[in-house]
Amino acid sequence: MSVDLLVPIFFNGMSLSAIYILVALGFTLVFGIMRVVNFAHGEFAMMGGFWLLFLLNWLPLTYWVVLPLAAVLVGVSSLLPEQFVFRPLYGQELPSMIAALGLSVVLAEGAVIVFGVHERNIPSTFQGLFQVGRFTFPEDRLVVMAIALAALAAFWAFVRFTRIGLALRTVAQDREIAEAQGIDTRATYRITFFLATMMAGLGGALFAQIYALSPYMGSVPLMKAFIIVIIGGLGSVPGAALGGVLLGMSESFLATYFGASVAEFTSFGAIILLLVLRPWGLLGTPEG
Amino acid sequence: MGLRALVESAGAGLRRRRWLWLGVLGALLVAWPIFIHEVFFAYIATLMLLYTIGAASLHLVLRTGHLSLCHAAFMGLGGYTSALLTTRLGWPFALAFLASGLVPAAVALVVGPILLRLRGVYFVLITFTLGEIVRLVLNEWKSLTGGADGIFRIPPPSPLLVDKRAYYYFALAMAAICVGVIARILSSQTGRYIDSIRESERLAQSSGVPILRFKVMIFAIACGFVGFQGSLLAHFITFVAPGSYTFSESLNLLVMNVIGGMGGLAGPLIGAAFLTALPEFLRGWVELQRVLYGVVLVLVMLFVPGGLIEIGRRLLSTGRS
Amino acid sequence: MSVLLEVRGVSKRFGAVQAIERLDFEVKQGEILGIIGPNGAGKTTAINLISGVIRPDSGRIALVGEDVTGMRPDRLVRLGVVRTFQATTIYQERTVRENVRRGAFTTLYPGFWPGFLGTGAARAAERRTEATIGELLGWLGLGEVAEAEARNLPYGYQKVLGLGMALAARPRLAMLDEPAAGLSHDEAAHVADVIRRTNADGVSLIVVDHNMRFITRLCHRIVVLHHGTELATGTPQEVTRDPRVIDAYLGTLHEPA
Repeated sequence: MSVDLLVPIFFNGMSLSAIYILVALGFTLVFGIMRVVNFAHGEFAMMGGFWLLFLLNWLPLTYWVVLPLAAVLVGVSSLLPEQFVFRPLYGQELPSMIAALGLSVVLAEGAVIVFGVHERNIPSTFQGLFQVGRFTFPEDRLVVMAIALAALAAFWAFVRFTRIGLALRTVAQDREIAEAQGIDTRATYRITFFLATMMAGLGGALFAQIYALSPYMGSVPLMKAFIIVIIGGLGSVPGAALGGVLLGMSESFLATYFGASVAEFTSFGAIILLLVLRPWGLLGTPEG
Repeated sequence: MGLRALVESAGAGLRRRRWLWLGVLGALLVAWPIFIHEVFFAYIATLMLLYTIGAASLHLVLRTGHLSLCHAAFMGLGGYTSALLTTRLGWPFALAFLASGLVPAAVALVVGPILLRLRGVYFVLITFTLGEIVRLVLNEWKSLTGGADGIFRIPPPSPLLVDKRAYYYFALAMAAICVGVIARILSSQTGRYIDSIRESERLAQSSGVPILRFKVMIFAIACGFVGFQGSLLAHFITFVAPGSYTFSESLNLLVMNVIGGMGGLAGPLIGAAFLTALPEFLRGWVELQRVLYGVVLVLVMLFVPGGLIEIGRRLLSTGRS
Repeated sequence: MSVLLEVRGVSKRFGAVQAIERLDFEVKQGEILGIIGPNGAGKTTAINLISGVIRPDSGRIALVGEDVTGMRPDRLVRLGVVRTFQATTIYQERTVRENVRRGAFTTLYPGFWPGFLGTGAARAAERRTEATIGELLGWLGLGEVAEAEARNLPYGYQKVLGLGMALAARPRLAMLDEPAAGLSHDEAAHVADVIRRTNADGVSLIVVDHNMRFITRLCHRIVVLHHGTELATGTPQEVTRDPRVIDAYLGTLHEPA
């Protein structure tokens, strides 16, 4: 177990974690505030990838503008589903879940109709290698990791320091009290959904850069989001961060030494164990 | 008030003459192959019938108030059990078929007490995970399952059943028995207390109903029946592969229940027939059909949560006003 | 009279609040025992502890000598101990008769296979229980509304239905949580009547309430709860004259008729 192996594993783990956390955060946010299990969340991530591809091909702007623009566009495109699919079903756990499943099918299959089924690659803006000491890191992964971390920091600052962030936290704690304090819960839901899908879109765009882009790729980030959110606790933001780090690191480590299947198995086993022993996750709160 | 009484009496009349309707349906199901000879129709009809078994068995689980996303995994357990026993060990179909129900039921008995303690979202997530685990096992345990390629050349239950039309009648008989058993369970005292659990666990428990034991029992029965479907399907299409038992298939079974209507057993039966037939009529528009699938799901949840049954009821009542 | 239920040294803490502290009392066979105390004294918690909804931190609960501490609620029901809930808990969308059928699980359910096969024994048992249910509905005063949907009943009827569901389980001991709360004078008198008749039939009862008049007129003995522990126990006369009780509750327990 030499340092030579550990450093790349750690690096890979970190970049994976950062992307996973971006996606999982949005998922847990939507559950925490609106109590909706958004089965279509992975498809919003996928959308981010396709917006990025589309914009890169059609806009002469630099990557640094196109990437956030893609994320924002995903957020904007989530407003219609929020209003017409989810809003009527807030408070109904199972129907909203089933409707989300339907939405995920519509989005994925819609993407197939528009873009075709095949996988594609996003042309890499960063192709170099970054050298630190005797380790080399691919530049694109470095950039991805940096962007993801920056986005997470921005999100944390937003929730912690802005008034909207305060409103979000209040509504998450107790909707009735929030309404009594004059907080517009409907607007809060819209903002939450926008933020959640925007981050998912960003995560998906970054993910698509490293791996490949296809209409069905949404199920991967969704599965990861599930795992992270169960580990960290449904509805807990720090939990998502913790879960993301644990998952990214363990996946990187296990995949390198034992192969991808073992990594998958272990994460599934961990979920089952957690759901049985502590369904509210490491940092969540048990509800009645 | 007058309209309501009218609809209720119509419903009551329907119920009293239920056996008449069932008889008519039964006669139709037996007689139509005499007039329509294309094998294609027998093929589709067979699939419809086999899926009624799985959809009805999922209905049992839904009746206890739990939404399972791993039902297809248990179908896979049944299918693979039957395939392995007949192709590798040369067992006769009858025994393999029995085993194809017992194996998923046994697994359900073991994992049930763990899974069914969870409710709502958590149960959905853990069943989703379980489904993924089974998919992984089917793919990775190559020596046993043949990996992603699956198992081929599964023999028909009997030389008489190589003909697709003959298999149709076999499937009809099996489906009738399975659905009949499920219907009987639901109409018996067991069904009453399943409903009581779903409507209020606290109240049911305070009347002495052993909640977890009931749920596990029903879950095991449901998994057994979908295992039977797995076996019947396996011997019909003559192969099994992990790809047939993914989350997508579990979703399919759920959608049959949702679209047909979750209020009663008729819902999944109608849903199974409808959803099995639909792809055949939308042939050539495969992608559009998939999108429509999702759209219908959303629309049903938003506007007609009672599914096709509810649509039928509404049509009946407006027809009479 | 022999002892049916014993509660010895039972304690329960919720976070910073000691809800029940070393509670000691017993229910004698055939009696109606009242439990009284102001809100927050721990009356409902006591029932929850006995019926198995929550586990005590310490102490022992015994049914005719057999330890039932922390036993699951459904097992206790099958041993003959039932309870009602403060808020009316009934199956809203079902008929009154169906509600009572569901309460009668211990007598109506013949087991999976007999139920499935419809054996002669199962059907005979079903007929008998249906007859009993019919009778029960009759003397509960619910006979006329037997086929009405439970949610359409006036509040008083719903409370009686809740009571009926508990009685349908043919218990040895029925624990009633505020059975007269929110009822008019006449309705409360009807409930008291039902309780007396049930008791005459051989059922022992614990009645929890904070209406002093209701309890003193109905119960053979009373346990006064104060801050989660037993303050005084005795006949209604003894308890209402007990200086400790008067001291703790001067005026509080006496409610206008």
